[in-house]
Amino acid sequence: MIQVQNLVKKVDTSEGELTILKGINLDIADGEAVAIVGASGSGKSTLLGLMAGLDAATSGDVLLDGNSLASLDEEQRALLRGQLVGFVFQSFQLLPSLTALENVMLPIELKGDEQARDKARQLLERVGLKDRWHHYPNQLSGGEQQRVAIARAFASEAPILFADEPTGNLDTATGSRIIELLFDLNREFSTTLVLVTHDDRLAQKCGRAVRLVAGEIVSDEKFSDEKAGAQLSA
Amino acid sequence: MKKPGLSSVPDPQAINSQARPRLLQLALRLLWRDWSGGELKLLFVALVMAVTSVTGIALFTDRLERALLLESANMLAADRVLGSREQPPEEILTEAQTRGMRTARTLSFTSMAFSDNGNMLVAAKAVSDSYPLRGEVIITDAPFTRGRPIQSGPPPGEVWLESRALPALGIDVGDVVYVGEAELRLGQIIITEPDRSGGGMIDNAGPRLMLHMADVPATNVVQTGSRVSYRYLFADDDLRVLDDFESWVREQYERQFRIRDVREESEEIAEALDRAESFLLLGSLFAVLLAGVAIALTAKRYSERHFDYVAILKTLGCTSRQITILYLSIQLILAAIAVVVGWLLGWLVHQGILVLLQSIMVVELPTPGIQPYIVGGLTALICLLAFALPPLLALRETPPLRVLRKDISQTSIGDNVPYLFGILGAIVLVLWYSQDLVLTSVLVLSVAGIALLLSVISWALLQSTGSAGMKAGNAWKLAMTAARRRRRQNILQVMVFAITIMSLLILSLLRTDLIDEWQAQLPENTPNHFMMNISAGQIEGIEAFFADNGIEANAFYPLISARVTGINGAEPDPGDEEEDNEGGSLTESVSMEEESAGNVSPGGDGEGGRSRTDGEGEAASAGEQEGEAAPRRLSRRQVTWAEQLPPDNAITAGEWWGDSAEPGYVSIEEEYADWLDLELGDVLEFEVNQQLVTAEVSSFRSVRWDNMQPNFFIIFSPGSIDHLGATFLSTALMESEQKMLLNELIRMFPTIVVIEIDALIEQIQTIIAQVTSAIELISLLVLVCGALVLLACVNASLDERFHENAILRTLGAGRRLILSSLLIEFAVIGLLAGFIATLGAEASLAYLQEEVFEQDFSFHFWVWLAGPLSGMILIALLGVSATRKVVSISPLTVLRRMV
Repeated sequence: MIQVQNLVKKVDTSEGELTILKGINLDIADGEAVAIVGASGSGKSTLLGLMAGLDAATSGDVLLDGNSLASLDEEQRALLRGQLVGFVFQSFQLLPSLTALENVMLPIELKGDEQARDKARQLLERVGLKDRWHHYPNQLSGGEQQRVAIARAFASEAPILFADEPTGNLDTATGSRIIELLFDLNREFSTTLVLVTHDDRLAQKCGRAVRLVAGEIVSDEKFSDEKAGAQLSA
Repeated sequence: MKKPGLSSVPDPQAINSQARPRLLQLALRLLWRDWSGGELKLLFVALVMAVTSVTGIALFTDRLERALLLESANMLAADRVLGSREQPPEEILTEAQTRGMRTARTLSFTSMAFSDNGNMLVAAKAVSDSYPLRGEVIITDAPFTRGRPIQSGPPPGEVWLESRALPALGIDVGDVVYVGEAELRLGQIIITEPDRSGGGMIDNAGPRLMLHMADVPATNVVQTGSRVSYRYLFADDDLRVLDDFESWVREQYERQFRIRDVREESEEIAEALDRAESFLLLGSLFAVLLAGVAIALTAKRYSERHFDYVAILKTLGCTSRQITILYLSIQLILAAIAVVVGWLLGWLVHQGILVLLQSIMVVELPTPGIQPYIVGGLTALICLLAFALPPLLALRETPPLRVLRKDISQTSIGDNVPYLFGILGAIVLVLWYSQDLVLTSVLVLSVAGIALLLSVISWALLQSTGSAGMKAGNAWKLAMTAARRRRRQNILQVMVFAITIMSLLILSLLRTDLIDEWQAQLPENTPNHFMMNISAGQIEGIEAFFADNGIEANAFYPLISARVTGINGAEPDPGDEEEDNEGGSLTESVSMEEESAGNVSPGGDGEGGRSRTDGEGEAASAGEQEGEAAPRRLSRRQVTWAEQLPPDNAITAGEWWGDSAEPGYVSIEEEYADWLDLELGDVLEFEVNQQLVTAEVSSFRSVRWDNMQPNFFIIFSPGSIDHLGATFLSTALMESEQKMLLNELIRMFPTIVVIEIDALIEQIQTIIAQVTSAIELISLLVLVCGALVLLACVNASLDERFHENAILRTLGAGRRLILSSLLIEFAVIGLLAGFIATLGAEASLAYLQEEVFEQDFSFHFWVWLAGPLSGMILIALLGVSATRKVVSISPLTVLRRMV
């Protein structure tokens, strides 16, 4: 589903050119759940941004469902994101001036789907926010906001879901419940999940963990289904 | 759930068109939310202000022009007038008629009217059947009663007389009146006629007697060489027909005959209206520009607050194209509502102005055209394009990666592009409104000057202390370091404040100066009657007469006709232009002696008729005299001698002779001196009453020509020409209820000539008072726009201040420290802005007053103190009241919002 080929990202800084990613190669299969782990500054968020088509690489390519991102401009990448990709962010990234329901409706509406309201309500119900759909983000707790964000991520029915430190802003208990929800939905929707985290325990819940150090993959570990499943149900 | 399989990149067109209705829905939703959240209110108000001021002023000027057209028609009893001393060819009337215009003729002359009981000098006016073409004659059956309007003059065989002539002649309606050799019957009392104040001096020389044109031959008073004033009147509802006809006359008769409208008829009114129009134009320009700046500032803040929105939308698959459509829709919907509200408010504003001006607008006005609404709508569009769109378009370039990394900023559009757009938009707006390259350049230059000055000053100030950090020890240091940290923003802020304060200063100073000048020009007690041809022996009697009747007597000026025949022994060689006697000097024109004068008023074989000829001229002489070829030798001037410098005169070079005056000196008006290329000490030779007199130029004077008072180009020192036989001129203020006294005055002193200019002065005073009100209203409008900009500008830096001060408070800074630091920072910015604004305002005013408003510029010293001080107080108060929330919201709330 996702093929990363020789991906390099360099940025200009005041102290000269800085290479953040040094030729990453990675294949993620359809339906797979992959964690990208590493310390701060290891380049994991940059890799996520490039894989999701949020940014353009310096060289190399990412193929999303067979579509080469390197050959697309930002307009085309945006369209591709709308079709293929859903996101969950550490800071939730809900639109503060829209209600929970409207936030979830947004990606559905952008696709021109007439059933946006009904689908969004179903999803909010599914994430346990049946009674809060008319609340604005600032009227919701952090955990509730992340639930809305998860509902929104699945609303577009995209085959790939990128999650950037989804529990980073939440306490441990809330974080666990959110992860549970995320993996449940991931299974229901048969989504390919790419999750960035520095939490090894969370990484092990995925079937596979790719470790980055200083812009290079130092390990690519696959866990057995039993182990991952055991972790998940724990 | 089923996964959508994607084998190729989706077609952007298809998706865009599919999603467009959804985008509109989203736009409406965002618009509504941003509106409820208050984010868009300031932008909306700014747009509304722009549309309001432009629509209001455009509507007003549109209707003012229509009103002026009607007013001028009333003052002239026609749309256009051709006046002349000689009979203009009939062909002109025929031509006008073949063009479908309506025409009428009048003929004015002074004559004695006789009855069986008395006689009186009257200002006679013969009118043709179709007179008046515009306006109405007011007549009545009994003297001193209210009249009724009628749209005609008297029928043949009948005369109409003004009330006060009836007791003087001892007659009643129905009695016989003799005019020259004609025996006519008094049919009606005439209260007023539309072109009464617009007429020449012949029309103001006594009570009106109106007769039919057909009776003129029978009177036998108008003969070759008679002092008469012919007028052809023209009217047509189509302005183009009038203009075409005017050009035709110009082509056919070049300078011999000229068509005029009201602006040429009354210079004082024309000048007041011209200046008022310039002021309104300038006012609306400032209003629009300030609204533009407010729009730019609020739009910039709005777009900055929406960077994150756009980034999120983009991660969700929104393309830049969709972002553009989304935000464009929001702006256009907002603008559309603003335009409608602005139209409504603009209509109300213009109604307000109309109410203030209602006594000028005596006639039912045609409804204004749609033009002003189009102008208002287009203004909103230009404002939006120039000021709001650039920052909003920058939104489309927001990188989606911003959802992961907040520090990523806009890269594709340069930071300065929005400013360039704004500047360009501003220039387009100014040029479009003023249609005046000079005015545009002045405004652009003064703003550019401010920007330059500011960069230098700010650079100097902010370079002086190189340190960084917070320096949170005390409020003053905290404020200063804050000011330095936000250097770029602050320079912009000072610039916006300075330009706003400058606009307000320019407008209020200009307004004060204009109104002061108008009031000085025609103060309440301006004398409204001229008495001429007074002999030295009559002065005492006239003074006694005034004293008995409670009328204040003014100075008596000797009057004698003279011509410059030599300068330092040589022939005078005046400058190229024609001799300038259009200065508006009523005295000069009233008393100007023509070379050809000296005729006797026909039929006027009484004393009044004889004496009248010398002093007679035309009030609006410049136009009426153009029929005659300008003589190359200098024309005669009415000169005087005086011990004291007359009021409204100022010595510009040399010295006034003072109390120990010696004969043989002369003081010359400065422009006349310029024209003759005179210098102090030159010896001039005059011909006065066939005698040669020489005098040395001892001073030059400036003269206020528009004060409707006796003014002279040439004043001799006492003793120089006293022996050459002069008559005297004086002025008096007579209220309308005192006008009957004129009869008695003229009976007691039959040789004197009274010129009545009360109607003219009253009209000018009314118009000026009303134009003043209009100016005040516009100033208020600009003030509101200015306040809007100040508010927008303070708000623009609010987010950063919130964040910074939240951190400071978390770290233990007290509310007092933060508030006083904010106060100091804003006060310093305000002081700087006020100072620069004062500088800019004085510089712009110097140019505007001299060049556009034709006023004398003088420094407004108090403004140099008031400008910076008011800037400081205003900005400090505004700034602190807007940012007070910074300390009232809990730091946690702020910091959480900032995450």
